[in-house]
Amino acid sequence: MMESEPKPSDLVQGTLHMLILKTLALEPLHGYGIGQRLEQISKGVFRVNAGSLFPGLRRLERSGLIKGEWRVTENNRRAKYYSLTAEGRATLKRETRDWGRQTAAIARILEASLGEL
Amino acid sequence: MPFIRRLVAGIHAMFRKTRVEQELDEELRGFLDAAVEDKLRGGLNAGDAGRAARIELGSVAAVKDSVRDAGWESAIESVWQDVRYGGRMLRRSPGFAAIAIGILALGIGANTAIFSLLNAVMLRTMPVYQPSQLVEPLSRYPGEPHRNGFSWEFFEDVRDHNHVFAGVTGVFPTKLQIAPDGAEAETVDGEYVEGTLFSLLGLQPALGRLIDPQDARAGAAPVAVVSWAYWKSRFNLNPAILGAQIKVNGVAAPIVGVTPRAFVGLIPGIMPVVWLPMTRPMGLGLIARLKPGMPIEQARAEMNVLHRPRLAQIAEKSHDPQWLQSVMDLEPAGGGLSLLTGRFRTPLQALMVIVGLLLLIACTNVASMLLARGEARRQEMAVRVSLGAGRLRLVRQVLTESLLLAVTGSVLGVGLAYFGAAALLRMLTSGRLPPGWPQHLALQIAPDLRVLLFTAGVALATGVLFGLPPAWSAFRAPPISSLREIGSAGTRRSRRRFGHGLVVAQVALSVVLLSAAGLCVAHLSNLRNRDLGFQRDSVLLVTLDPQGSGYNRVQLANLYKDLLARFHAIPGVRSAAVNAVTPIDGGAASSFATVEGFQEKPEDRRRLMQNWVGPRYFETLGTPFIAGRDFEFADAGRPRVAIVNQAMARYYFGGGSPLGRHLTFERDAAPFEIIGVVGDAKYEDLHAVAPRTVYLNAFQDGRIQSRFALRTDVTPTVVAPQVRRAVEDVLKTVRVSKVTTLSDQVDASIVMERVVAMLSGVVGLLGASLAAIGLYGLLAYTVARRTNEIGVRMALGATQRDVTKLVVKAAMGLVVFGLLAGVPAAFWSTRVAYSIVPDLATAAGPLPVAAAVVAMVVGALLAAYLPARRAARINPTEALRHS
Repeated sequence: MMESEPKPSDLVQGTLHMLILKTLALEPLHGYGIGQRLEQISKGVFRVNAGSLFPGLRRLERSGLIKGEWRVTENNRRAKYYSLTAEGRATLKRETRDWGRQTAAIARILEASLGEL
Repeated sequence: MPFIRRLVAGIHAMFRKTRVEQELDEELRGFLDAAVEDKLRGGLNAGDAGRAARIELGSVAAVKDSVRDAGWESAIESVWQDVRYGGRMLRRSPGFAAIAIGILALGIGANTAIFSLLNAVMLRTMPVYQPSQLVEPLSRYPGEPHRNGFSWEFFEDVRDHNHVFAGVTGVFPTKLQIAPDGAEAETVDGEYVEGTLFSLLGLQPALGRLIDPQDARAGAAPVAVVSWAYWKSRFNLNPAILGAQIKVNGVAAPIVGVTPRAFVGLIPGIMPVVWLPMTRPMGLGLIARLKPGMPIEQARAEMNVLHRPRLAQIAEKSHDPQWLQSVMDLEPAGGGLSLLTGRFRTPLQALMVIVGLLLLIACTNVASMLLARGEARRQEMAVRVSLGAGRLRLVRQVLTESLLLAVTGSVLGVGLAYFGAAALLRMLTSGRLPPGWPQHLALQIAPDLRVLLFTAGVALATGVLFGLPPAWSAFRAPPISSLREIGSAGTRRSRRRFGHGLVVAQVALSVVLLSAAGLCVAHLSNLRNRDLGFQRDSVLLVTLDPQGSGYNRVQLANLYKDLLARFHAIPGVRSAAVNAVTPIDGGAASSFATVEGFQEKPEDRRRLMQNWVGPRYFETLGTPFIAGRDFEFADAGRPRVAIVNQAMARYYFGGGSPLGRHLTFERDAAPFEIIGVVGDAKYEDLHAVAPRTVYLNAFQDGRIQSRFALRTDVTPTVVAPQVRRAVEDVLKTVRVSKVTTLSDQVDASIVMERVVAMLSGVVGLLGASLAAIGLYGLLAYTVARRTNEIGVRMALGATQRDVTKLVVKAAMGLVVFGLLAGVPAAFWSTRVAYSIVPDLATAAGPLPVAAAVVAMVVGALLAAYLPARRAARINPTEALRHS
């Protein structure tokens, strides 16, 4: 059931961290870049506002899954670029696996019809 | 690991707060710039792009806030913020803060002080293996307190025949003269220990070894073990102490070990310096270890069985069938033996309850002060609610403020308690302890972890307790928009009722406290004045020490006659006499006797108290003479004579006259003829009834005594210098060893009661004053609030009298409610007190409660006086204009 004009929807609770990690797995990015990249990959379905993005980044940094580094952007500004740590990479791998398993299970439940039981 | 990392990062962030903030600012600025550039690239003009980007970012402050909240340190920061804000609020009203903190410091300090004594006496456990398995046997002779003192034979009997103990052992505490190699001798507390004591306790030596059964064999080479404190103070912890010789009562013994640092002794109240093995049988205090899993009830039952034959033996040997009635108890002894501290338990528990009540009143008092302040801060709360402050956040703020008060109060309180407990211990132990015990108790009363935890718990509980009412009203604070409409609506009325409730509670608690104090005071005055049988005031007591003076008994008797003549010549001395014991000096002789013409069953036999006194003794003490004649110096060469008290006369002779009858003491050949009867007087114990007493003439049979009693017309101590001079003149070589007054001597025996009465009196007055202050505050506030109404009443013709009545009636209304709750509680608690201390029951009846009620009503009238006067002086015109 797709709406004709998809509105940016709120992120599924608790998945923001995983998505940030995934985004950063491709290349180091600054805050705005992460938001843009998420929106871009999800084809506009997910839009992360700064009010959840930055606290998320702070938490991930505190947990040692990402690390920040001040660098100069292509426009010659200073910006804090985040990149995955080894631990972050491992966490992403684990969470991706878990997520796959969970969504598959949820999908099966949602699609189940009486006949299959 | 992640936890630790977050912890470190948080601490890091706290200390580099500005730096972290700046970085965040810069990052957000970068975000905005990037967003604007993005929009420009998308074709928007500069103004629209900036606006769109800012909308996308949202409130920078909000984003920063939620980023800050992502770290745990923000929680601490906001608590710290609360604390600082609370501190500011308190500083802004220093008077209120000082009073509240003072009241709390007093309440918490009193509780901490009593608790640290209670802790030292009852709660400490010894640092030994499985202290919960340790028990002590306690025997109780009818009418006497528990005792843990047994014969060696009984110890052996229990050791060899019980089935309930893993081991049983004992100690004999004593004073010892010790002198390390060549040093000066000093007298210290020491203990002879049965060979298995240290292994039964499971103690490991700090150095060397402890005493073992080999050391305690008869004829074993002497050894000594010293305390860690002694090792520290005399040997500076030098291991060379091992093998050093120490002279104990003149006998050299090598020091073989040092007890562990944490172990200070088996008997709370004594900290022994040296332990010696018991190499010969002696009487001892017992301690036993129950077999694992053995219930104490079963052990108790067996002890009673083992006790039986011993009792029969003692009863037989001493001709005292009362011994058969004595019972054996077994009490937990994980904290050590109760030899000394047992007597402090009940008074300390009573004091704990009393100071607990005081703290409750203090809490209620501070709560009503805070509530009144909360009334004044409604505006502030309303503004905060309107600005979007969370209600829980407000509650937290208010609770933080009250906890701040409680914590400050308790810090001061611990300081008070530190000195208070030491002073209290000195007071409690200033009286006379049982003969032979150390004159001051060595107790560890410095606050330990348990005391500090107790205080922290009390502070927290009080803070929450008195903080809850204002917190609740903060929770329900209406936003400012509705503040104006609220006026005197329901919420305010209920809050006012709550304030009244707090005052009522204070009155009720104070009545309970005051009646407890009244009971203690009545008990004390009863002990001091009830049928003593002598006049305690204006009697000087002088003890001489003729030992080594070179005089024999006959010479002494003659010299004392001269001395008495000198005493009588001193101006202000009415009479003087020699005696063996004076009332309540702690000891007396007693013996069984056969009375001519009187048959009694063996189990009815009782000991008679004996006292040797000289002529004019009864006159001096103020004991009334009932019949017959007094002793004379001239009795010296005549047949033996005796004077008996009424209790004795009644028992042996009923209605008949004892004069001319004879009595013979056991193991004594010649009879005494009874020549006089005197009134009953208490000698051993103020709590007990006067025993049957026989007085014998100190100038007969060479029983001359070296104690003198002088009745004076002036303050007794005034004549003391002349008394000393007379002694020096008459008896060149005899020392005056002690001078005191009968009154002091009597008081020394009831120190516990005096201290409890004094403290409970002070605490009761404090509590009542707090309640009165609370009442005053409420009335003053009410009058201020009702100024208008009172003005209208006066304008309509109410007189000053009517207005005064209005206020007093309000006060009395609250007091009546308080009494309705307090009086039954007071009666109930006095009944509980009676059941614990049966002696109290005779003391007072309903008098203390009645006195408490009167005191409370008077207090309330005093509290109402100022507000009532203010109300009566309200000028109607001004009051109405004022509105």
